[in-house]
Amino acid sequence: MKLTASERFRRYLAGEEVDRMPVIEWAPWWNLTVERWKSDGLPAEHAGYEALQAYFGLDKCLQTSVSCKTAQTPAPPGHGLGIMEEEDDYDNTVRPTLFPAYETMFPAGFFDALQASRDRGDTIRFFTVEGFFWYPRTLFGIENHLYSFYDYPELYKRICNEYADWLVGLFHYVFSRFRFDFMSFAEDMSYNNGPMISRAAFDEFLAPFYRKVIPVIHEYGVPVFIDSDGDITLAVDWYADVGADGMFPLERQAGVDVSLYLDKQPDMAFIGHFDKMCMKFGADAIRAEFERILPSMQRGKVIASVDHQTPPDVPLDTYRDYVALLREYAEMATHKDTEISACPVYR
Amino acid sequence: MNTELLNEISEKLQRGKAKDVSALVNQALEEGIAPDVILNDALVVGMNIVGEKFRSNEVFVPEVLVAARAMNAGLKILNPVLADAGVEPIGTAVICTVKGDMHDIGKNLVRMMIEGQGIKCVDLGVDAAPEAVVAAVKENNAQLVCLSALLTTTMGGQRDVIEALCEAGIRDTVRVMVGGAPVTKEWADDIGADCYTLDAASAAKEAKRLILEMKKG
Ligand code: B12
Repeated sequence: MKLTASERFRRYLAGEEVDRMPVIEWAPWWNLTVERWKSDGLPAEHAGYEALQAYFGLDKCLQTSVSCKTAQTPAPPGHGLGIMEEEDDYDNTVRPTLFPAYETMFPAGFFDALQASRDRGDTIRFFTVEGFFWYPRTLFGIENHLYSFYDYPELYKRICNEYADWLVGLFHYVFSRFRFDFMSFAEDMSYNNGPMISRAAFDEFLAPFYRKVIPVIHEYGVPVFIDSDGDITLAVDWYADVGADGMFPLERQAGVDVSLYLDKQPDMAFIGHFDKMCMKFGADAIRAEFERILPSMQRGKVIASVDHQTPPDVPLDTYRDYVALLREYAEMATHKDTEISACPVYR
Repeated sequence: MNTELLNEISEKLQRGKAKDVSALVNQALEEGIAPDVILNDALVVGMNIVGEKFRSNEVFVPEVLVAARAMNAGLKILNPVLADAGVEPIGTAVICTVKGDMHDIGKNLVRMMIEGQGIKCVDLGVDAAPEAVVAAVKENNAQLVCLSALLTTTMGGQRDVIEALCEAGIRDTVRVMVGGAPVTKEWADDIGADCYTLDAASAAKEAKRLILEMKKG
């Protein structure tokens, strides 16, 4: 079976047989890690996001990230701070700078270039926007955002509703021009002990907007992933309920066990889950970690990959060992003769 | 004594009703309830319940934040009265996120919970240098240092603070508590910290225990 990166990815998520599991990194590398690798001998010309994927021999997996903010949108005055002080600031200073016209957002020839790389067959492309937890956080600021569920509930919903309307148009615009292999909503709404907000808050403040946009994305056959660090054991069910096809990165340090998710959400796909913290211990530890995940790779749509950026304590040679082992284990996840359900988007 | 009123204060605090807490604390004082009783039997009790529920995922981060805000509304009224009555805080803690690390949601929750025990907290914010911690300990005669780190690359900063405390000759005058997502009991033992806890509610309990132990000598 000879598959392009894009075909392999689609078949894997559809529960069909593949030649091997996709071998990808979804996140750009941590700058401190790349600096370290340069001192370990990584040639500087290979240090970029795309170049590094080729250098290590991964399936190319490239991200296009867009925002509804523009150059006119006020910048936060400091780390973690918001761009609204008072409730009125949203209408007076923030909102007028949001929601650019879609035609202005992409350079000429952008979608044709994506299509050309799809035709060459070598690249998985994913499209990323901020989710309904992350986006209001960038307006309110990290701490005020957490208060806003109590202090400004109506404003929170209005912010999300207007954003969702803009996203609906964006998704029609983008996906009618190019069918990305998947898309992700940046959320980071969990930490080591679970979600930062309650199910009730999720249902009131996030779910309605996901329900509005996910069917539009699905119309184009694009699977939807939610990107949230931390322990998502509760949240995975919440996002399943609003129609998401998968989640990443399934952070091991936070106690995630993907095998349990396959039991309770068998339709979902999962990317990541390889414990980045074990990498520094070398090839034996890395092999042991793949052995742990292998059964899940074989019985579900698990794409093993580092569960967030590789930390700077991992030497370049060790990362090479990791990629070699990733390739070795990828060959063992072909889903041949295995009954695996398709992601919701394919049903 | 009006235990019903104390319970009501605790209830309102748990639901994050800052205005109600203020009003009820005033009412309690007018009814002649001693300020330290209001503190311990209403505010601290309420905050402890919130901490426990947070630990077991019955309430989440926003609920803890609004409860802590309600607690502070109560404390604002109580603190001057407590001072007049000669009631001192249990002790003083210096808290921060260590050098190079900007994560502060967890550190802030830990601070609020510790304050919820009637302990004074000096918060140095994020990206705090060891020298700043040493200076703050000296300046405030703190008995406790609480260090948060969320990154494997910054955890070493917890050790740096302990070393700086040793070098300044004040390691014996404080207890050091560490925490944050990548931090473990083994790490805490390794760097010579006195205590590690997984969550903010346990941190608050341990903070009280460590300070009382420290004060006993
Ligand atoms: C939110 C978040 C951010 C936000 C932080 C916003 C802010 N102002 O705090 C932003 C987006 C800015 C961010 C940035 C980065 N982050 Co970050 N972030 C997170 C995330 C998703 C949640 C952290 C959080 O807020 N938790 C909520 C609170 C309530 O929990 P907590 O902090 O753990 O605190 C609890 C306990 O730990 C304990 N506790 C905490 N402190 C203390 C202290 C004491 C004394 C005690 C006793 C207890 C205690 O009590 C708290 C409550 O119960 C975590 C994922 C995770 N698993 O934690 C990643 C995570 C910590 N981030 C990570 C990374 C890599 C980064 C970046 C380096 C990314 C990058 N390449 O730029 C930057 C670093 C910036 C910097 N220099 O600090 C990695 C760290 C991996 C590693 N190798 O260590 C994590 C684990 C994500 C992952 N999947 O790998 N991040």
